[in-house]
Amino acid sequence: MEQRLANTWHMTINEKKFIETALSKNIRVDGRSPVDYRQLTIKFGREDGSSEVQLGETHVIGFVSGQIIQPYRDRPNEGTLAIFTEFSPMADPAFEPGRPGEFAIELGRLIDRGLRESRAVDMESLCIVAGKLVWAIRVDLHILDNGGNLIDTANIAALAALLTYRKPECTLGGENGQDVVVHDPEVREPLPLIIHHMPVAVTFAFFNEGDAMVIDPTHKEEAIMGGRMTATLNSNGDVCAVQKAGGDGVSLSVITHCLRLAALKAVDITSKIKNAVDSYNTARALRKVKRHTSLVAPDITIPDSVMKDNQIGQLAEHKAQKFKEESTKTFDTESVVGIPKETDLFNKKNINFIRKDTDSFIGGPSNWDPYSQSKPPNFVRSSQISPGSSTVDHKQEARTMQIESNSEETKSNNASSGLSRTSSMSQQRTTPKSLKDAVKPKSERKNRPSSASGVN
Amino acid sequence: MEVETSSSSTANLVDKAVVPGDIVLDLTSMSDQTIRLGAGLRQNSDVLSVVKAGKLKFKKPNKYWVESSQKRYVPSVEDTVLGIVVDARADNFLVDIKGPTLAFLPVLAFEGGTRRNIPKFEIGTLLYIRVVKANSCMNPELSCTDANGKAAEFGSLKEGYMFDTSTGLARMLLRSPTCPVLEALGRKLSFEIAVGLNGRVWVNASSPSTVILVSNAIMRSEFLSDVQQKILVEKLMQRVQG
Repeated sequence: MEQRLANTWHMTINEKKFIETALSKNIRVDGRSPVDYRQLTIKFGREDGSSEVQLGETHVIGFVSGQIIQPYRDRPNEGTLAIFTEFSPMADPAFEPGRPGEFAIELGRLIDRGLRESRAVDMESLCIVAGKLVWAIRVDLHILDNGGNLIDTANIAALAALLTYRKPECTLGGENGQDVVVHDPEVREPLPLIIHHMPVAVTFAFFNEGDAMVIDPTHKEEAIMGGRMTATLNSNGDVCAVQKAGGDGVSLSVITHCLRLAALKAVDITSKIKNAVDSYNTARALRKVKRHTSLVAPDITIPDSVMKDNQIGQLAEHKAQKFKEESTKTFDTESVVGIPKETDLFNKKNINFIRKDTDSFIGGPSNWDPYSQSKPPNFVRSSQISPGSSTVDHKQEARTMQIESNSEETKSNNASSGLSRTSSMSQQRTTPKSLKDAVKPKSERKNRPSSASGVN
Repeated sequence: MEVETSSSSTANLVDKAVVPGDIVLDLTSMSDQTIRLGAGLRQNSDVLSVVKAGKLKFKKPNKYWVESSQKRYVPSVEDTVLGIVVDARADNFLVDIKGPTLAFLPVLAFEGGTRRNIPKFEIGTLLYIRVVKANSCMNPELSCTDANGKAAEFGSLKEGYMFDTSTGLARMLLRSPTCPVLEALGRKLSFEIAVGLNGRVWVNASSPSTVILVSNAIMRSEFLSDVQQKILVEKLMQRVQG
């Protein structure tokens, strides 16, 4: 008993009185105003459908997976969606391993209600063979750190994971057309889920018997609050769910005021999630391009941009160092991959791409310099590819993927030809290439000014 | 020659980061000297080796120790800490001092304490106390008096706001000359502060906004240099006044 007392978190009388007095004057302990959210950071993992969300000190990761099952009898042409939560004991000394506590179940139910009852996730598109086979989507939410307001954070994690999840494509084949072929993601591009709108949860905490209200309570504020209410709305202002489980009573005017505030916050958070998901998708598309030219491809470079290579390499290295420093500091920016705003030379994709790789790469002498030691081949590859990819847009990505599947040289007169040429030269790759190899000898350079300018 | 290399290697490690396994001093060359070892150092026959990661410190003439900072606290004697009352028993209060176990505060360990005037501490009272006994195998023992039996500012703290920090930050706040962030804040604001070596800080001032300002400034100043701390405080003051 004593050991359990030693391990739990204790609140002092001083803190309780102080937080309440400060709230009566509309100030919060961390300096926020009562209607401000903490800093929101949304990151994604390598796999589709894995998200990591930080709201202040609260940290939640979401993971979406899909399985093919038999549908329920009363809904033969709809897929299923299930939310699972895991409250890791490392998040809070009050979380015990094993059976989920009352709050864990409430959190799961709340997020489930927000997504299911509002028909945010399209269930009928999850059907493969009506009455026989449907997709069962499972969302796992892991709480890593409880800094207060788990509901909002977990909801954002679930949304971000669902928006970036891709399910493998299935086609019907076989004799009766009843056999289902699930295609490998390498063979056929997996498909995203159809999400109609984004229900965003906004949590309010009430103090002083309903006199004071704050949005996004911290752990300490949650410990002394009198009551809590969560409103789930989307950016159109539709109310998807409202939850108030016990606690102090509040008047109707307070509730309508809260709903109006929640509508504003929902718009804000929706745009943040959308931006993060968009950056992830562009990075993913770029990664696809890289994958199809999975060999070191020094020939990709556009000939008239040889001078640009040096600049690009320099800037890439400079950015790599900057991001290295940034990643050690606390992350202050809101968007996914810390996109710096100066983009005259390059478009957003390019910088995203470099950032993605420097995530896993810290340090090393200049990688673009052919005369320096120790060139991690990955970085050489990326810095070589980035000038090429900066000119590749979505149309060409589709074309390059087709080239890969056809595996033959194409006649197209732009970067994609460089890509296919390298795929045929796969056997020749032995030593890591350098910038010197990137410069094609004059004889090999085709007359490409029209295409390059067209692409540019 | 040997002495030189060993002393030069010691001099090199003082004020540097050390990890467990580093050898601080080679004792074969020294004889007839008393060296005092503080936390984080251990003598293995002829060498002094580090057992805890941190910064090696040296104080003339012969004191060595390793300073490290973490969120948990290891109770040690004569530390002044901030504790929270968790339970009241017949002859002692159970107090949480962020250590591995709860600590006992005898009911009589107050100035002029007798069975008749036992203080009534509610659960959740914040106390400024001194550690009297601390072993790894027993619950630590506390006292609300100093070594002479006088009250000397120990006891319960009223009002104000308390927050948690690391032990390193708590030591930084207590150093002399005064830590720059406290000095800069003290020039413009008036507040009172109690720092526990177990990583708890209590701040009190006349207005809640002052308390919030001071506590946020302290929390953010842990890894800043002296100059950066002064700049942080200036910026905060400008934002408040502007």
